[in-house]
Amino acid sequence: MTAFALLFTLSAIGISETVYLIRTRIAAQKPVCPIGEGCATVLTSKYSELFIVPNDILGLFVYIVISVIAAFLVIGVEPLVFWGIALKILVGIASLVSVFFTYLQWHTIRAWCFWCLMSACTIWLMGVIIIVSSAV
Amino acid sequence: MRKTSFHILRVGLAITFLWIGVLIFKQPEAWGAFLTPWAANLLPVPIREAMIGTAILDIVIGVLLLIDVFAWLAAFVAAIHLAIVLTVSGITDVTVRDIAILAAAIAVMAESLPQSIRRKMASSTA
Repeated sequence: MTAFALLFTLSAIGISETVYLIRTRIAAQKPVCPIGEGCATVLTSKYSELFIVPNDILGLFVYIVISVIAAFLVIGVEPLVFWGIALKILVGIASLVSVFFTYLQWHTIRAWCFWCLMSACTIWLMGVIIIVSSAV
Repeated sequence: MRKTSFHILRVGLAITFLWIGVLIFKQPEAWGAFLTPWAANLLPVPIREAMIGTAILDIVIGVLLLIDVFAWLAAFVAAIHLAIVLTVSGITDVTVRDIAILAAAIAVMAESLPQSIRRKMASSTA
């Protein structure tokens, strides 16, 4: 229950973050960059889209699905085993994609985006929570 | 306040409402037990249905606050909702924390009020 509460909370933070990024992109505004100055550089680079879909929309979709699955697992919507496996696979794939995007910022774009790193850390933290809760 | 602190408060409030909504969906009857007998007798529908309606309302409020769409309206409804909760549940060891959530909802509403409403309020008080 605690693990699902944490996953739900983290995914909600992710939703609010990606919605902010989508809004600023649609409004053609520069996002606020609380730490560093590379947000605009990264978010407007050619790597800001994966298979035509903007990364912020992809992230929003992933966070919504994770929050819904976490809610289903808490409420007890069957099949629980399927939701549990789906959650692990989704967070696993998202973690790997986050590693790829972080590598791109470090090695290819050579600029750091606060929001992208925050999103990556959110996903990795979800992975840690799932691993720890499975082990306990 | 409409900067970082506002958004932290808005998202925190959103998560609280979303999570409470999920928990009420899990055990609506258990959450219905918070109602005082006089309030439960006033309900026109069974307590389970009333609590599921509350859960849906909580989730809608949470979503609107989270995505910052009609945040002022969501916070306004949240404040009324919490005032009703405090009235029908009484201030207990658990519900005393709702006072803080009520204050947070009022703060978010005050900060996110559209300019048109602010102007109307200013002209009516002038």
